[in-house]
Amino acid sequence: MSNTIAKRQHPGFYAIVVMLIIMAVGPIAIMLINSFKLDVDITSGTGGLIFMPTIQNYETALCDILPYELDHLDYCALKFGGAFINSLVIAIVSTVLTLIIGCMAAYALVRFKFMGRDTASATTLMVRMVPPAVLLVPVFGLWNNEFCLDKDGLIGGFIRETFGGRGDVCLAGTHSGIILVYIAMNLPFVIWILQSFIVQVPRQLEEAARMDGAGPFQVFFKVVLPLIKPGLAAAAIFTFRIAWNEYLLASALSDRDTKTVPILIVNNMSEFNVEWGVIMATGMLLAIPPIIFTLFASRQIITGMTAGAVKG
Amino acid sequence: MSNSSINRLYPYVFMAPALVIMALALLYPLGYMVYGSFRDWDPSQALGESTFVGLKNYYTLWNDPNFRESVAVTLKFALSVVTIEMVIGVGLALLLDRKLRGMSMLRTLFILPMMIAPVVVGLVWRYMYHPTIGIFNKTLKSIGLEPIDWLGQNALTSVIIADIWQWTPFIFILALAALQSLPRSALEAARIDGATGWQQIVHIKLPLMMPVLIVTCLLRLIDAFKVLEVILVMTEGGPGLSTEILALRISRTATEFRELGVAAAMSNYLLIMLLVLTVCMLAYNRWMEYRAARAMRVAAEIG
Amino acid sequence: MFKFTKTLASIAVTSALLIGQAVAGPYDEFAGTTLIVNFPAHPHYDAVRKILPEFTKETGIEVEVDQLPYLKMRERQTLELAQEEGDYDLIAYVVFSKADYVYADQLENLARYYMNPKLADPNYDADDLIDGYVYNIGFAGGNKGYLQGKTGSLFGIPYGSETSILGYRKDIFEKHGLSVPETYDEMLEIACKIPELEPGMGGLSSRAASGHHASHAFLLHLAPLGGRVFDDSWNPIVNNEAGVQAANALKTIVDCGPEGAASFGFGEALGSFLAGDTAMFLDTTVVAGQIDDPSKSKVVGKVGWAMHPMGTRRGSQTGGFGIGIPKNAENKDAAFLLMQWLTSKKGDKMVAMAGGNPSRFSTHADEEVNAKFPHMKTFGEALQHADPDWRPIIPVWGKINADLGTTLSKVLTEDLDIQEALDGVAERTKAVMDEAGYYTWSQ
Repeated sequence: MSNTIAKRQHPGFYAIVVMLIIMAVGPIAIMLINSFKLDVDITSGTGGLIFMPTIQNYETALCDILPYELDHLDYCALKFGGAFINSLVIAIVSTVLTLIIGCMAAYALVRFKFMGRDTASATTLMVRMVPPAVLLVPVFGLWNNEFCLDKDGLIGGFIRETFGGRGDVCLAGTHSGIILVYIAMNLPFVIWILQSFIVQVPRQLEEAARMDGAGPFQVFFKVVLPLIKPGLAAAAIFTFRIAWNEYLLASALSDRDTKTVPILIVNNMSEFNVEWGVIMATGMLLAIPPIIFTLFASRQIITGMTAGAVKG
Repeated sequence: MSNSSINRLYPYVFMAPALVIMALALLYPLGYMVYGSFRDWDPSQALGESTFVGLKNYYTLWNDPNFRESVAVTLKFALSVVTIEMVIGVGLALLLDRKLRGMSMLRTLFILPMMIAPVVVGLVWRYMYHPTIGIFNKTLKSIGLEPIDWLGQNALTSVIIADIWQWTPFIFILALAALQSLPRSALEAARIDGATGWQQIVHIKLPLMMPVLIVTCLLRLIDAFKVLEVILVMTEGGPGLSTEILALRISRTATEFRELGVAAAMSNYLLIMLLVLTVCMLAYNRWMEYRAARAMRVAAEIG
Repeated sequence: MFKFTKTLASIAVTSALLIGQAVAGPYDEFAGTTLIVNFPAHPHYDAVRKILPEFTKETGIEVEVDQLPYLKMRERQTLELAQEEGDYDLIAYVVFSKADYVYADQLENLARYYMNPKLADPNYDADDLIDGYVYNIGFAGGNKGYLQGKTGSLFGIPYGSETSILGYRKDIFEKHGLSVPETYDEMLEIACKIPELEPGMGGLSSRAASGHHASHAFLLHLAPLGGRVFDDSWNPIVNNEAGVQAANALKTIVDCGPEGAASFGFGEALGSFLAGDTAMFLDTTVVAGQIDDPSKSKVVGKVGWAMHPMGTRRGSQTGGFGIGIPKNAENKDAAFLLMQWLTSKKGDKMVAMAGGNPSRFSTHADEEVNAKFPHMKTFGEALQHADPDWRPIIPVWGKINADLGTTLSKVLTEDLDIQEALDGVAERTKAVMDEAGYYTWSQ
């Protein structure tokens, strides 16, 4: 029964743990430090930690939403603020919609014995297999040419009239176009995760609610949803993460007003002038929401990850 | 009576939005892609205006050495990444499956790399691999070693290392979860029988974790075929074609060479490849489960 | 609302002018219009953005800039120009896009505008525009289909165009008593001597990364060494003696270059010169502004400029960008006015003073410009040898370019045999050309 006595671990294990932490966090720390350095300090190659910290890189990045003029810039080239707002809108709307739609589908699959659960998870897995790059060509073609409203038509004409712009009203170049793809990409995963949570909701609770005269929708929203909150949190984080971080499809579908932050960062790695400081600052800004999630909701993330694979 | 027919309708109502969206934004595009892959299609044309060329795109690709190299690079990348990550991830899980203080903190920090954007991961690693100002070469130089041409001659290895950094934690966490949900009784029994740590791992822990590990492995494999941004930012597929994975080649063919038909055919090849891999792994998984079930039944009968 | 007020204001301005002068100025009709222009992320266009407020002040025409990395810009344009109605009123295009756009009938022929007395400025002085640039970037339909000639006409104006020039570290050359290379042999010899003389320093920094970069670097040497990609009947001749020599030159340069040279894109190549890690730099004139910028460069004041060294002939590259008006633009006349203003003598000088690349002879000779940028004189001389035909501008070039670039990158990193590699390129190029119909008349 030596197990019950708190045994001191070998110091070697702590060494390994410390090393792992350094390896996991190191690159992010490097980015953080460099985002406060001027390019001259970054490229000069002298001393890693001895430098004058500056927020100039962040100012350059955020120049379009800062209330004051910047002395070191002739004009504001990076529209980071706008892109950040685009990213937020796209990520939040697609997360909310994916959750609602995914939740309902998962509930139907589990409770109504709609299809065998095995079939459902196999389909989910199959769909999850589709890489975004495979969607690139068809989505590009469809969103630009087929999913359009004639500009002389009723709705199309109204949209052009109210929002301006030229040509037929197409999904490409709009927030909704990008959001639609993200919902479709994330749905399978969300359904998959939520299924494993809904299964655990005791049927008796629902029966009881139904006895009290609640319809299926009420049962779903008032009884089931509150019980699967941890699952929802996990699914939300994963959906948000993909919508927030995705580059390829967004870059094919966005126009100059709907660019998201990842596009801006890739565009800014312009070959003529790699401004490491500013790039690191934009990278840091993009990484902040995921980092916050990780620090405050790591338990949900781990639940989500393990639910997907272990219980799947 | 009518009430029950409404009740029978509800599942469809609940499913409808998901089905509509999946059909519109996933299945229809996939069909569109298959259709487009048989046509000579330029980005300035609508698909209807393009000409039908039959299997020409598939045939051209099959004989295109660049495409073949790209397939080879993709397979090399995916297989080595998954193998190495599985070994390290599971190894770490077995090593650290004990009550250490700060374990939850470690797991939190471990998740960080896979949460931040691939674009950001790419740019940080590109910076660290920089031949003169990057931290690796600076460190090598300061301890008197020759600097390494990371993103030049060793580009594929460098890209693989970055991916391992980002995704090993995924496997580590899943493996750890699997380990901690193992039936304590089996381990206890083994310990009483005097099994050494190593024997416990090989004969008890690993076999019991196997179903989870296979799923994990499959998920990672699928994701490894999806990697694009990290490589795009780090090397843009170069030097030569040494890091041009299929996803990247599809995107280049579509946008840079302006051959949408060929890109569609390439997408189809990639999809078929993934499908075969997935089906194989699922079949293997089923077979393992079946064998385990039979063994149980046999054991029960004997008992 | 904001737009409305602006329109009101412009009407007020217009009527005031009308009363004052009785005759309206050329810009009045368009005051208050907002032009949407698509520019590349490029030092020249960074300079352009600095002078655009001046244009708005002078004409009342607003300009909204959508600036993208140039490959992205090209993708975007492919899509935009194909629409029935496009977003962009004025676009900057990469030289090799000229073939695609003109062939697809997506760019306005400029004759209509230069013929219109209300639009064309009589003092424009088109003869002052640099010949090589105009032929290379603006013309189509003449010789070989993509150059000037009796059947050609103008579709764009060179803007942000560039030629190649050799930058060298005066201090290093002086320290070791080296003389500035005049020929390729001298340049290669010095390039490989530098790492011995200055340990840790590379000879010449060149771009070499897979794809466009490697191909560009190779073509840069091909023209002066007497080579061409095609002969006069479109047969690929990259694999002849001059081609092998050019590839050898590139390999020597990379081998004697700075750490990691084989993976350098343009940015890295320039970066290493700016950081003082290489002694020479042979590429576009665009970089001059950055070399003198102390926040980016550690070699301010240490760089001398010389002409692109000679092989069997002088032949520096011509490249960069032109500006043109898309067929599907909304405000074509106003776009022409912006284009004319930017490339006028005054506009060209303004952009040069802001750090851009002038496209007029007079700007290169201008005293004020030369006082601020002493290198401008050498650049002007180099221009006389600018070769408009150093690289073919045909619709299939994108594909050939990609193949050439990846193959050369393999030569540089995987030690592929040069002759064999170029033979492969020639063979595949021949197939591409055949499919595109270039041999229809020779059969």
